[in-house]
Amino acid sequence: MSKAISVSGLTKSYGGRTVLDHLNLSVKAGTVFGLLGANGAGKSTTTECMLGTKRADGGTVTLLGQDPVRDRRALFERIGVQFQEGDYQQEIRVFELCEETACLYKSPADYRALCARFGIGDKLKSPVKSLSGGERQRLFIVLALLPNPELVFLDELTTGLDAKARRDVWKTLAELKAQGLTIFLTSHFMDEVEALCDEICILKRGKAVFYGTVEDAKRTCGCDRLEDAYLMLSDEEERK
Amino acid sequence: MRRFFVLLRNEMKLSIRDMNMIIFAVLMPLVILVVLGIIYGGKPAYDGAPYTFVEQSFGAACAVSMCAGGLMGLPLVVSDYRERKILKRFRVTPAHPALLLAVELSVYVLYCAVSLATLALAAGVFWRVRLHGSVWVFLGSWLLTMLSTLSIGMLVGGVAKNTKQAGVIASILYFPMLVFSGTTLPVEVMPSAMQKAVSWLPLTQGMTLMKNTFLGISGGNALLPVLVMLGVTAVCAGLAVRFFRWE
Repeated sequence: MSKAISVSGLTKSYGGRTVLDHLNLSVKAGTVFGLLGANGAGKSTTTECMLGTKRADGGTVTLLGQDPVRDRRALFERIGVQFQEGDYQQEIRVFELCEETACLYKSPADYRALCARFGIGDKLKSPVKSLSGGERQRLFIVLALLPNPELVFLDELTTGLDAKARRDVWKTLAELKAQGLTIFLTSHFMDEVEALCDEICILKRGKAVFYGTVEDAKRTCGCDRLEDAYLMLSDEEERK
Repeated sequence: MRRFFVLLRNEMKLSIRDMNMIIFAVLMPLVILVVLGIIYGGKPAYDGAPYTFVEQSFGAACAVSMCAGGLMGLPLVVSDYRERKILKRFRVTPAHPALLLAVELSVYVLYCAVSLATLALAAGVFWRVRLHGSVWVFLGSWLLTMLSTLSIGMLVGGVAKNTKQAGVIASILYFPMLVFSGTTLPVEVMPSAMQKAVSWLPLTQGMTLMKNTFLGISGGNALLPVLVMLGVTAVCAGLAVRFFRWE
């Protein structure tokens, strides 16, 4: 199977403090990869260095065989991104934000169908600022899926969603994965990670403390639940 | 081109919803013209002048909307989009920075054009203002003055760190240019030392050019203001694209 993401030796520091320390990642096409870690562990920095919105101090990133900085315009025809703090123009309405995003791509998906699929089909004419947190979150997932991407980055994708909406989002993502979409996500919800991810990497202070499948993580720690394994693994250094 | 027009339509809608530019770039120039019209009516600019005072001020009224759009609206909207991370979202799409700057620029070009149309209509209907020079030469000077003013705004918006900084720079540029370049206070009434000082403002050059072309005054050197404004436009637009910051 071909690689959708390949990261090697990714390093980044801010003012002498190392936030990413020689991180290596590899994600197979058509799989779901979860990047986990506490707040401040380096998840967002990793994502941003991979997307080229932050410049890494060292290391290489290849997305779908291309360089995210050099091949930016060609590459982002094929990649969708949902940032953690998605923001929008003050007065913009849902359909306008969708239109404005869709027009940037050569062959975008139908935003009406996508909005309906994520349960905000009746909100197209509403101002984005009037949406609930969960609706807005789903809107930004829709925007990330607009390019009909081969690879999608979802940063804390279901934060702010209620239980039913989370399940619906998982189901849709699983369907998209079955159609060949590669998903790179970060999350604080271990049930979500367990339901969606083929492989995970747990970050702690910019270093990978675990890298493998969800089953590996549970087996390594002798836990039944990923959450217990996650807490053990991400806490490792303290115990030593 | 489809991208450009979809974005332009949306950004124009958003800008109209915001109302600020309707007030400052369209209504304010009109109010200034109306006030001048009420005060001076059909009086000549000076005893024996072949044109009226309102005719003399027509170029200035046009420049008010350029100031509002170029030195207030444009830099603030671009820096606001950067601060709100809207530009960051565009960065992970195939959009080119020049596309975004061109769209925002066009929004303000439209405001200036609407302002020109309403001013011409009001001035023509109520005070029988007429163009003494060639319409094309006047439109050329209008276009050049507008582009040079907007390019300054594009540069400020393109490189300012945040909305606050852009706001400070915008105010520093907006108010002196509005007051001293002859837009609201006619250059003719300023003391000569002050006239010399304000002639350094790029907008003063544009104002003078617009006034002369509107009144059909061929005297004076038109080459210098044209060169100054072409230079300002090229340098500012070039730097704005070159040093554009997504975040």
